[in-house]
Amino acid sequence: MKKLLLACLIFAGCETANYAPQITRSPERGVDLTKLNRGRDLFVHRCIECHTLPAMWKYSREDWPQIVNDMSHRASLRPADREAVIAYILAVRKEL
Amino acid sequence: MSKRALSILTLSILQAVCAFAGVRHFTYLYEAPTSPPGSIESENWMTWAHVDNPEHSDELAFRHEIEIGITERFQASVYFVDWSYHNDPTSSGFKYSDSGLELIYNLSNPVADPVGLSIYQEYKGGDRLFEWESKVIAQKNYGRWIFAYNATLEAVWQGEGLSGREGEFSQALGASYEIDPQLSVGLEFLQEFVFPNWRDTEEVRNVFVGPNVSYRRNQWFVTVTALAQATDTEDEPNFQLRTIFGVGF
Repeated sequence: MKKLLLACLIFAGCETANYAPQITRSPERGVDLTKLNRGRDLFVHRCIECHTLPAMWKYSREDWPQIVNDMSHRASLRPADREAVIAYILAVRKEL
Repeated sequence: MSKRALSILTLSILQAVCAFAGVRHFTYLYEAPTSPPGSIESENWMTWAHVDNPEHSDELAFRHEIEIGITERFQASVYFVDWSYHNDPTSSGFKYSDSGLELIYNLSNPVADPVGLSIYQEYKGGDRLFEWESKVIAQKNYGRWIFAYNATLEAVWQGEGLSGREGEFSQALGASYEIDPQLSVGLEFLQEFVFPNWRDTEEVRNVFVGPNVSYRRNQWFVTVTALAQATDTEDEPNFQLRTIFGVGF
């Protein structure tokens, strides 16, 4: 029973991490890793206040900034927060 | 400055600094994420409870609440007034019940961590009533699914001199599926263990189960749950319908 519970928890962690993968290295020069991690933190905390996280591939790189901008007021994102979320999404999107 | 100009200025400032606190996908369960810092939201609850056993009666209960995001992980809510209208064969009328304070602290995230956890504490006081309620809230998001579990311990002092005592342990389980970013449907299950005089001699057990639906737009949401009693406990509602309407300033 304990093994089954452990397997479920590991599965839970792996499955949902796909919706907000962690970034361990900056995908390109000039992009601050701290900013990307801050963006991920905001992405997983603020967006799920209203809806589940969409898969990153669902929208194009061009669409994401507008989507985040449209929801930034609702999610209490200040301009710097908004930029961090967009930078994170675009960094993940680039890897897909 | 005229009153009107002051009102406009206040509303403008509120519009600039406040935001939506968050959508509720369930009405009988709480979710683990807390509101963003600086967000303010008004939530209005309406619960209709219909009792058939031992005799017909109906109650409409209302709650008017303001929810405030304090920090990234901590939120507070004030229940300005809980009141109700009841109607049974012998009497009917309005009644003020209580006012209260609710505090929620978030420990982990339902997406980034294996399980999202929050702890909850509530204090309510009213007309010959004091209530203390603690809760553990667990949540997990899987893609478009949200699963939530609440374990609640409640102690009530009521009546003349607050001499009447009652305890309750309840657990609730909910699942919600997001059809699109604006619409979710789900199920809620609620099990109550009631301890009159803090004893379990009467072995009062109630189970309620039913569907829910949640719809959200830019600055507001509405969530409705219909619960039917799966047990046959006297004086407990055979049917309950709860609606929560939330609007961000």
